[in-house]
Amino acid sequence: MTTTAPADAAATRPPLPWGRVAWVLGVIVVAIVLAYVQSGSGIVVSQAVVTGILVGGVYGLVAMGLTLIFGVLDIVNFAHGAFLALALFATYWLVASTGMHPYVALGICTVVMFVLGALVQRGILAGAMGRPLENQLLITLGLAMIIENALLLLFGADPRSVALPGDRGVPILGAVADLSRILAFAGAIVLAGLLFLLLQRTRLGTAIRAVAADQAGAELVGIDTRRIYMLTFAIGTACAGAAGALVAPLVTIEPTTGAQFNIIAFVVVVLGGMGNVVGALLSGLVIGLAEQVGGLLLPGQSPLLSVFIVFVLVLFLRPQGLFGRSG
Amino acid sequence: MRKTWIAAVACALSFGLAACGGSAPSGAAGNAPAGGVSPEGTIKIGSLHPLSGAAAADGQQMDNGAKLAVEAINNAGGIAALGGAKLELLSADTQGKPEVGQSEAQRLVQEGAVGLVGTYQSAVTANVSSVAERNKVPLVIDVSSADSILAQGYKYTFRVQPSSTVLGTRAAQYLSEVSTAANTPAKTVAVLHEQGPFGTAIRDSFTAEAQKLGMTVGPAIAYDAASVPDLTTQMTQVKAAGVDVLVVAGYYRDGVLAAQAVQTVQPGVDAVYGVANGAFDLAQFPAEVGQAGEGFFDANYHADMTKPAMQDLANLYEERYGDTIRTGAVLSYDSVNVIAQALQKAASADPTAVRDAIAGGSVDTLLASSGPIAFDEKGENKNAIPILMQVQGGTIRQVHPDSFAEAAPVYPGQPAPVSR
Repeated sequence: MTTTAPADAAATRPPLPWGRVAWVLGVIVVAIVLAYVQSGSGIVVSQAVVTGILVGGVYGLVAMGLTLIFGVLDIVNFAHGAFLALALFATYWLVASTGMHPYVALGICTVVMFVLGALVQRGILAGAMGRPLENQLLITLGLAMIIENALLLLFGADPRSVALPGDRGVPILGAVADLSRILAFAGAIVLAGLLFLLLQRTRLGTAIRAVAADQAGAELVGIDTRRIYMLTFAIGTACAGAAGALVAPLVTIEPTTGAQFNIIAFVVVVLGGMGNVVGALLSGLVIGLAEQVGGLLLPGQSPLLSVFIVFVLVLFLRPQGLFGRSG
Repeated sequence: MRKTWIAAVACALSFGLAACGGSAPSGAAGNAPAGGVSPEGTIKIGSLHPLSGAAAADGQQMDNGAKLAVEAINNAGGIAALGGAKLELLSADTQGKPEVGQSEAQRLVQEGAVGLVGTYQSAVTANVSSVAERNKVPLVIDVSSADSILAQGYKYTFRVQPSSTVLGTRAAQYLSEVSTAANTPAKTVAVLHEQGPFGTAIRDSFTAEAQKLGMTVGPAIAYDAASVPDLTTQMTQVKAAGVDVLVVAGYYRDGVLAAQAVQTVQPGVDAVYGVANGAFDLAQFPAEVGQAGEGFFDANYHADMTKPAMQDLANLYEERYGDTIRTGAVLSYDSVNVIAQALQKAASADPTAVRDAIAGGSVDTLLASSGPIAFDEKGENKNAIPILMQVQGGTIRQVHPDSFAEAAPVYPGQPAPVSR
């Protein structure tokens, strides 16, 4: 911790350092050119870029709620993936039992998950606030296990799916992408925009940023930090709810589906700068591109290899994250 | 700075939780009841499967299969050579984790199991087989394809399903036979496989045999089955390579992604050809992907639906559990039968005697197979083979070899690519 603006204050500053964005873009362009040289096929590279951006949008979408909770409450929320799974099953259940459109279920999911998040924070996590890191970490880990196994008990282990009516392939720059992925990507941008407005332009957002910057100071000026903690956790969980409904048509729905996003989501949160919602979306895109384009650059290797090469390099060169302010 | 540190710990921890290998020490069981027959007169068999976790759907099916086998044996009068002693199944949840499987196996042995069946994941099976060897209790592997498990020289481990070498080799032969019979011989093949031991072993054995049969194999594209979000880039690589056939070796979720990517990208191949694919021959697959999976092939070990006894078992399973039986459950069913017949043959419930009877036995099977279950000196089932299946009209049909065929193969299996 330094005495000047700490990294904790991530939520209080302008969302993006544009010079650094340009630098990142430059690296991405070089990687794409190298991928073209390596694979020798323009269509393969443009498909990798399109898929990388769309997949990256999903990563950013999943990571947004996580980064908000991380930045404000200082909680490593291992239950985020389980909340996502819960939202996936809620969407599946609503669509399968009432035949409603998955995007109508999105509204319901978001509200239900908001309430659930508030209850979980007030009922389970409130007592552990301000205690050592392991306390909250173990609570969320236990919560994740309970949710996953409750889903297993209720729905069984058979994989399920949600179909988006009218889903089809859409050609983009010689590549193709499913309409459902494009819509999920659009949803990620809208959600990031809404969160940004909420944080920057509303009284609640100002209070959240104040608590993130300095809890004691926020209390001194009369902010009810307990309420802010509850609302922030609820908003973060509602993000998982929205992400679940948007992602439902793209994935096979199993109790463990959410958990598979956990690792990538943590990487995205760190790259984006803790608590930085727009940074999470952008670093989601970076990771998506690293995975897809890196798969072409290093043929025969796991696409995750390139993701973690990027991750390690960034941690080494800019430990506060690509879009975080220096500490 | 502190938060970055926290996050790094979080990442490391989630890795640790996801992938920590088992190294828990476990002593040999010292106090198993002599003879393996408990005071109540039942003979215990251990069933080790992933009843929770990512593979729970398969694990629960397999445990159910083992239960049905025990029930059928008990209803038929138990083990006649041991005075009609009844069997009792001890079910344990490996959670898909090697260290849990190991400690659960140890527990079952201590509770007096005379034989074990399991376990689905090769990594778990590897640990369980070492427990079996140390305690001199036979393990009959129902599902786990890794060749390495039986390369240890273990005396107490047997495998009912075909090894990955047999799977890949036969798959290449079937592809050659079916495509040649349709006058569109497959000449060039791309392989899309998951990057773990299963996918790479299948790739290698398939490639070796395919090259002998005059096919050109390449590109081979790997992906991480646990995390892959989308396969359209990989499918575009296949399209750019302009191959005749796309071979896919992977699990369920990635199989669904492959089908979706085939529909989106239209790679223009004659056939999408699974090898031991975890999706393409399951009833859920056409239900989930719809038209996108139509015409897909899969060369895999499979229950032989042309056998009346197998149809009876499928009906019983449907009635009892409200679900379509998967081949994994049939393998567990057969594996319990292997132990039961060994008990009968040995007329003893001593695990070592049971082991010897398994090694020299020959047991009828419900699987599509070139003969009864009989083990070679390494413990591999000599008669285990895959057969070829195809999605036709939204159902899985056995199409090749002729002796197992329910319907004729439709080759090319993919419609001509739609121009966009």
